[in-house]
Amino acid sequence: MKLRITTNLIVLIAIIHGWWFIALPLVIIGCWFFPYYIEIMIGGFIYDALFGTTSGTGLMAYSGIIISIVIFAGIIVIKQNIRK
Amino acid sequence: MSAVFVIAIILVQIFFPHFFPALATSIARPFWRTEFSIGSGSLKSPLLLLAENENLKIQLEEANVRLRTIRAIEMENMELKSFFGKNMNATSTMKDRKILAPVLIRPGVGIYDELIIDGGKNLGFIINDKIYAPGNVLIGAISDVLPETSKVSLFSSSGNIINVLIGPSNASAMAVGRGGGQYSAELPRTVKISAGDFVIVPAIDDKPFGIVSAVESDPAQSLETILLAPPVNIYQLRWVLVEHI
Repeated sequence: MKLRITTNLIVLIAIIHGWWFIALPLVIIGCWFFPYYIEIMIGGFIYDALFGTTSGTGLMAYSGIIISIVIFAGIIVIKQNIRK
Repeated sequence: MSAVFVIAIILVQIFFPHFFPALATSIARPFWRTEFSIGSGSLKSPLLLLAENENLKIQLEEANVRLRTIRAIEMENMELKSFFGKNMNATSTMKDRKILAPVLIRPGVGIYDELIIDGGKNLGFIINDKIYAPGNVLIGAISDVLPETSKVSLFSSSGNIINVLIGPSNASAMAVGRGGGQYSAELPRTVKISAGDFVIVPAIDDKPFGIVSAVESDPAQSLETILLAPPVNIYQLRWVLVEHI
């Protein structure tokens, strides 16, 4: 639990500063090791809220949440197949 | 239960699109401002600051001398322009409407090619206000305004197209944004363009918009590719000027 909270804090700091290249590997690792790692989607949502433009960029403004959902779903499928 | 929560978030996002960005930005802003202050040298020792202050005073003196020379040249320029009937009052009024704003987040680290500046509705900024880098270089426009911050879409964002005049011959071309402050344009090979030539946007301003950084020419093609970049490094911007439209 402590490790999960620490990971989340580091991810949050990275997201606030726009360091997606730090946040992305961490959430992928988190998604693999922690069960139901929905923080990845919260992270994507916060990233879009901070840096996505609300007016007039369509789906591009939701890149963070879309990428996080794809990673979350992808890793769940991979985990299920490997752990069968 | 969680489905209701997700639907509630989606509904809020649809009906109040600025709610979550404003909330997230108000939490992140103190961190961004702290980072900006550290970057500006606020945590340096008093001795170091005093020495820097002295150094800056000397530089200011030198700059004042240069400024007096520039003013004399400006006066001469205005005089010459008045011969051609150009109204100078419009330019001076535009200058007065510019507001200095610190840059909190620069492009490069983000997947979005944008700047986040400190100042939003509280300073009266609106969407499409023009953004100038130091030296009056036009680099973008405000794309989103939040209560205390604004998002700036750079003209160099991938796919953006802007009409420009390139080089001493003022060759008209369409500059296409390539992201990260870079543009490309295509011109016939017969037009003589070389690296270092100035680029201006006549429709907006007659100040330098960019500089030709390279010319890629293929003898088999009738057109050559001109690579342009702004005269300032947008990755090192700390301040910008916001001009109300």
